Amino acid sequence: MIVYIAQRLLAGLGTLLGVSIIVFILVRALPGDAAVMMTGAGGGVVSEQELQQVRAKLGLDQPWVIQFADWSERIAVLDLGTSLRTGNAVSADIERRLPYTMEIVVLSMVIAIGLGIPSGVFSAWFAGGAVDRVLQTVSMIGLAAPSFWIGLLLILGLVVLFGWSAPLFWEPFWVSPLKSLSQLIWPSLSVGLRQTALISRMTRAIMLEVLDEDYIRTARAKGVPEFGVVFRHGLKNGMLPVVTLIGFEIAALFGGLIITETIFSVPGLGQYVVSSILNRDYPAIQGVVLLLAGIVVVGNLSVDLLYGVLDPRTRRGRAVA
Amino acid sequence: MTQSFNAQGLGLNRRELLIAAGGIAAASLSGPAFAQAAKRGGTLRMSNGGDPPDFDVIQSATYLTQMACAPCYSTLLRIDPTDYSKLLPDLASKFEVSSDGKTVTFTLREGVQFHNGAILTSDDVVYSLDRIRKPPTGLVSPRKGLLGNIVSVEAADAKTVVVKLAQPQPDFPFLVSNPFNVIYCKAVAAPLDASGQGMKRTVVGTGPFKLSQAIDGQLYEYVRFDKYFGEAPYLEKIQSFPIKDEIARAVALQGKNIDACFFFANESVLTMLRKTPGITQLRRPTPTFVNLIPNIRLKPFDDPRVREALSLAIDRDSFIKTVGPLSGAFFHSLGLLLPDSPHSLTADEMKSFPGYDTIPGLGGNLAANREKAIALLAQAGVPKDFKIVMPTRADIPAFRDASINIAAQLKTVGLDVAVDVRDAGTFYELENHGQFQLIAHSVAVSGALPDQIFGEGYTSFGGRNYGGWKDDSIDDLFRQQSREIDPAKRNELLRQFQLAFLKTNYQINLAWVGYAAAYANNVKGWNALPDLYANMQQDKVWLDG
Repeated sequence: MIVYIAQRLLAGLGTLLGVSIIVFILVRALPGDAAVMMTGAGGGVVSEQELQQVRAKLGLDQPWVIQFADWSERIAVLDLGTSLRTGNAVSADIERRLPYTMEIVVLSMVIAIGLGIPSGVFSAWFAGGAVDRVLQTVSMIGLAAPSFWIGLLLILGLVVLFGWSAPLFWEPFWVSPLKSLSQLIWPSLSVGLRQTALISRMTRAIMLEVLDEDYIRTARAKGVPEFGVVFRHGLKNGMLPVVTLIGFEIAALFGGLIITETIFSVPGLGQYVVSSILNRDYPAIQGVVLLLAGIVVVGNLSVDLLYGVLDPRTRRGRAVA
Repeated sequence: MTQSFNAQGLGLNRRELLIAAGGIAAASLSGPAFAQAAKRGGTLRMSNGGDPPDFDVIQSATYLTQMACAPCYSTLLRIDPTDYSKLLPDLASKFEVSSDGKTVTFTLREGVQFHNGAILTSDDVVYSLDRIRKPPTGLVSPRKGLLGNIVSVEAADAKTVVVKLAQPQPDFPFLVSNPFNVIYCKAVAAPLDASGQGMKRTVVGTGPFKLSQAIDGQLYEYVRFDKYFGEAPYLEKIQSFPIKDEIARAVALQGKNIDACFFFANESVLTMLRKTPGITQLRRPTPTFVNLIPNIRLKPFDDPRVREALSLAIDRDSFIKTVGPLSGAFFHSLGLLLPDSPHSLTADEMKSFPGYDTIPGLGGNLAANREKAIALLAQAGVPKDFKIVMPTRADIPAFRDASINIAAQLKTVGLDVAVDVRDAGTFYELENHGQFQLIAHSVAVSGALPDQIFGEGYTSFGGRNYGGWKDDSIDDLFRQQSREIDPAKRNELLRQFQLAFLKTNYQINLAWVGYAAAYANNVKGWNALPDLYANMQQDKVWLDG
């Protein structure tokens, strides 16, 4: 097991290196000048000579290879550099913004898992019936509607019905948990509804297969109550693909909240990424993308490890291999 | 002979300054008056836009930084919050202009404290002014041109600063007091500047409020500075929330989550707020103009006939009716200065320039103009359906929507114009490298004086010469008016400058932008000046209940 984890971590490091090289090249290949954006000098109000000095100060006048070597050296000691836009350490900016994004991810997944799995199970349990049809229709709408559109409808509804407006100050969870939850529930809901639909449909599909298995028939023949058959024998065995999906979705959500955070004005990582890209803030873009890649790597590894917990056969398989 | 201005609590208007520079007469001055008895205390909650990119107001070119920093800093003299044409003492209690107009001596107030407890000396002023006109290596100064007439700045003693000018400049006291030209504490700024960091994350000023919290994306909070040298501000605290979206700002105002927003552009926001009781809303022209700028370095725009045809093709009335509500570009002026400028041209003069007769009220004939434009293009050898690509910025309506409108209008004279919408970074890249044929550009200059608008926007050496033109006669006229101390003669030179520039069509004026502001009726003491940057210190603002 330890060897397996070490192998996966090593592969993860390789992935991160690849991602960092690609991002490093891509952000520099973008048209636009970090020095111009940093000085707010668009429109020619700052001379080229001054801009050259700024580029030199930031090391942007160096060849890309040297810039990459400098950046890698810092990354090796977990220094993500200084944001050209905010002037803060990128890690400090991330540290302040990540909790909001994490809270939305966690809340939306709680909503998605809490509603998606039961609705998928019931849909499969009563396959072809009225409950199934209603749930199928709802989940289809949830899948078809983009989360930003759901978000806009939510805002509109909240404003019209309750005179609600987005909070001016987003309370951090650790300062005021209840207030924070009450603020972030709406963006979480707009994202979570789509995830709910996704999980619900996946759960239904798996459960339809599982409920047709011999061991389910055996359980029923032994007189196990139907609820126990479905949830204890069926759901437990059908969870693997759903867990995989949840793992991927959590990782994807960290980088996928850009529009939702923007329309709800949440000061999370998504908004930070948008501002960084628009301002050609190279260290910030590189730092955040590296972090997101790291989250995906760790997320995938966690899912794999969870497989072992949920299905002992995978543990045995690795041991044999 | 020198002229002395003891300006304790007094104001100097621009005409008086013109006279002063010639050493002719003393100024008669009066302090600001506020009719209603002001109340102390309370927190003003406001939002003027998104996050400021940083706090180094001297290095900055954006109103976001200026508005975020204005409550914390002071300038040598200050624009009167009640009358835009007057200056009040700020850090300088008085100043003297020598008889030749080439030496200006500022006397600083006694006992002015910075927010860190340091006492203001002339070294701080010398350092700040030098930082503006000659920024240290690695720092930038978008407004160094404003102080380009300075030969030297010296500290005569701890409280006296002597500024030598290359030539007399009646606008100088206003230029040096531009709201961006704040005074830093040398002991704080110098080491940060040397490190290349500058004052981007550090705010230590002498202004009425201290920055107490700055949370990017969330909140900027200011508390009253108890040792402020001037009259104590009325407000206890200011909270500024960075709300980028204008509609979201308006909703926050409607929902009473904020008390004021001193910057809007979109008219639909004002329309929405007009229906809300208890909110005052207004719009004022500001020194931001929208121009159509041909790239003179490229054919066929080097041909004056082509540029004239461009101007003739444009219906300026229809431009403000369609682009105005989206961008705030609602105003026309007679000439190249702000609408209602004392130096405006006459209507007859204005309508003599091709295409400008479509300004409302000037009685132009658009169809005839466009026929003439087609003929001029043919004479210049421009083929029918000549392809033009206009790059524009996606994020600012005064660029984007102006470009879309102009593209449609130019099609009526047989030009095949496509608008290429880019993000700001890409747009700057194209613009700074002259990689465009034609752009519709919103130009926000840092003040409304002729030296500011013409110097920055209408000289070949100014920072806004995107089209790459070169014309010594225009530049010479600019310098002549800048140094002319006789008001009547200067007015004539300003007239000549405008007449000469309008003939060239190096830049084709389309409209002027007006900023809008809206605030709850209990917000008192704020006055919307015809300059977005002035009067943002908030020390005269108070809350009525």
